[in-house]
Amino acid sequence: MNVIEINNLTKNYGKERGIIDVSFNVEEKEIFGFIGPNGAGKSTTLRTLLALIYPTSGSAKIFGKDCIKYGPEIKKEIGYLPSEVFYYDKMKVIDLLKYSASFYKKDCSKRISELADAMDLNLNKKIDDLSFGNKKKVGIVQGLLHEPKLIILDEPTSGLDPLMQQKFFELLQEENKKGATILFSSHILGEVQRMCNRVAIIKEGRIIQLEKISALQENNYKKIRVQTTVKLDENYFNIDGVSNLVVSQNMISFLFKGNINTIMKKISEIEIINVWVEEPDLEEIFLHFYEKGA
Amino acid sequence: MNVFKREMRANRKALIIWSIGVILMIASSMGKYAGLSASGQSINDLLAEMPQSLKAVMGMGTFDLTMAIGYFGVLFIYLAMMATIHSAMLGANIISKEERDKTAEFLFSKPISRNRIISSKLLASFVNILILNLVTFVSSILMVQKYSKGEAVLGDITRLILGMFILQLIFLFIGTVIAAVCKHPKTAPTLAAGILLITFMLSIGIDLNNRLEKLKYLTPFKYFDAKNLISSQGFEPVYMILSVLLIAVLLSATYVFYKHRDLNV
Repeated sequence: MNVIEINNLTKNYGKERGIIDVSFNVEEKEIFGFIGPNGAGKSTTLRTLLALIYPTSGSAKIFGKDCIKYGPEIKKEIGYLPSEVFYYDKMKVIDLLKYSASFYKKDCSKRISELADAMDLNLNKKIDDLSFGNKKKVGIVQGLLHEPKLIILDEPTSGLDPLMQQKFFELLQEENKKGATILFSSHILGEVQRMCNRVAIIKEGRIIQLEKISALQENNYKKIRVQTTVKLDENYFNIDGVSNLVVSQNMISFLFKGNINTIMKKISEIEIINVWVEEPDLEEIFLHFYEKGA
Repeated sequence: MNVFKREMRANRKALIIWSIGVILMIASSMGKYAGLSASGQSINDLLAEMPQSLKAVMGMGTFDLTMAIGYFGVLFIYLAMMATIHSAMLGANIISKEERDKTAEFLFSKPISRNRIISSKLLASFVNILILNLVTFVSSILMVQKYSKGEAVLGDITRLILGMFILQLIFLFIGTVIAAVCKHPKTAPTLAAGILLITFMLSIGIDLNNRLEKLKYLTPFKYFDAKNLISSQGFEPVYMILSVLLIAVLLSATYVFYKHRDLNV
C-alpha cells in the first residue's frame, strides 16, 4: 500500500521554478530518502504535501486522500519537522510541546518526557535561550509526540552533533519498527544510504533518479585519486566506468562506477606513490547526472 | 480553542497597556475640563474667535465646550483614533505574525484547517477589542459623570462608544484582510496603519473643505461623527448599512484570501 502518492506535481512561484512534474510513491512502513542539493525543490515538495503551499498542477495523496482537500484530517497522523525550526520565543519548551500536543486528541505527556529524555532536552528552558541544535531537538520531539503513522522530516540532522544524530536515527528506526512510514529529505548521501530503503534524487525541480538503495550501492561511485612516480599516459585510466578524468602532472583523479576490482587491478599495475579512494559527495554525483542529461 | 487561548495570552500584555493608555487619556483630559469649565462661558467666546479650519483640525467643530459631554465629544475623536489603531494593528498582526515569526510551518502542519485558525484568531481579536471598548466605556462614564454636574450623559456616551466599537470592528477586519492578502507579513501592519491614517486625514479634510463632502462615504470615521451622535440625530441608517456591508465583505475576504494563498514559509 502507498502511504504517499505524488502524481505529476508541479509548483511555480510566479515565474520562478519550484518543482516540475514530480512523481513518486512512498510505501507503507518504508523509510524513503529524498535527496538533492540546496534549492532543488525538496522543501517545496514536502510543503505541498502538508498543504502549506498549493500545487500549480498535479496532485498528491496521503493515506489515499488528497493532501489539500483532506489536509486537516490526514495531518492527525503526520508528524512534520521543518528544515528551519522557529517557535514562539517567549514560550518554555514544555509549554510549546503541550501546545503542540493540544492539537491531537490524545494524552501525550508521557511520550513527551520519554522523548525529551532520549534526546537529552531540558523542558523548562525558554525556547529563546536554546541553541540551534537544541531548537532542532524541540522540533523532533514536537514531530514525534503524537506517535504519527507518517513522519516527514526536512533535513532533520542539520545542526545536531554526531552523537545526537545517532540517537535520532535510532529513534526513527524504533518508530519505523512500530509501523511508522518515514519520508525524509537530506543533502547528505551517507545518512540516506544508511537509513533508507529507497531514494528519490531531485535536481533543479525534477526527479532524476528513483531507486532502491541496494541498486544505488551497486552503482557505487568511488572518487579515486592516484599519485604516480612518473608521468602517465593520459588515457591509461580512460576505461569503462570512469568519468570526470583529470590528469595533471603526476596526479590523476576520476570518478569510477562499476566493479571495484577492475580499477584496483589497473592501479596495481603501475608504480604509485599514494592513492585515495573516497565516497564522492552528492554534488559530484549530481554533476555526473547532469552531464548525462545534457 | 487552543489557538484562541494562545492568542489571548499572547495579546494580554498589549491589551493591558492599551487599556491603561485609554484610562489615562480620559482621566487627564477630563481633568483639564474641570479647569476649563471653571472659566465659564468665556471659553466658548474664545473659541468663537478661532478660525474654523483650526477648530476642524483640532476636532472641536461645533461642540459646546462648557458642557462635559461637549468636551467629551472633542475627546472622542482621539479615543476613536487610539482604539482603531489598536484594532488595525491587532488585526494585521494576529494573522501575519505566524509567517513573520516563522511559526507558520509549525501551526499549519497541525490537524486544524486554515478556516478554524482564522476563526480562533478573529474571536480572540474580537474579545480584545471588546475589552478595550468596555474599558473606554466604563472610564468615560465615570469620568464624565464626575464633572457633568447632573447632565444626563449616559445615553450620549453609550451611542458614542457603540459607534467606536463599530469603527474598531471595521478597522480590525481591514487589518485582517490586508494580512490575508499580503504575501509579505512585515508589510501588513504598515499598510493597515497607512489606510487608517489616510481615512483619518480624509475625515478632517472633509471638515475643513465643504467640497470634499461627497467623499464622506470613503472614511469610516465620518460614519460615526461625534457631533451627530451627541445631538438627537443619532445613528444614520445609511452609515449603519454601509458599516454592516463593509464588515461582512472584509470578514469574508479575510477567509477567502487566506484560505487560497500559499503561506510565506
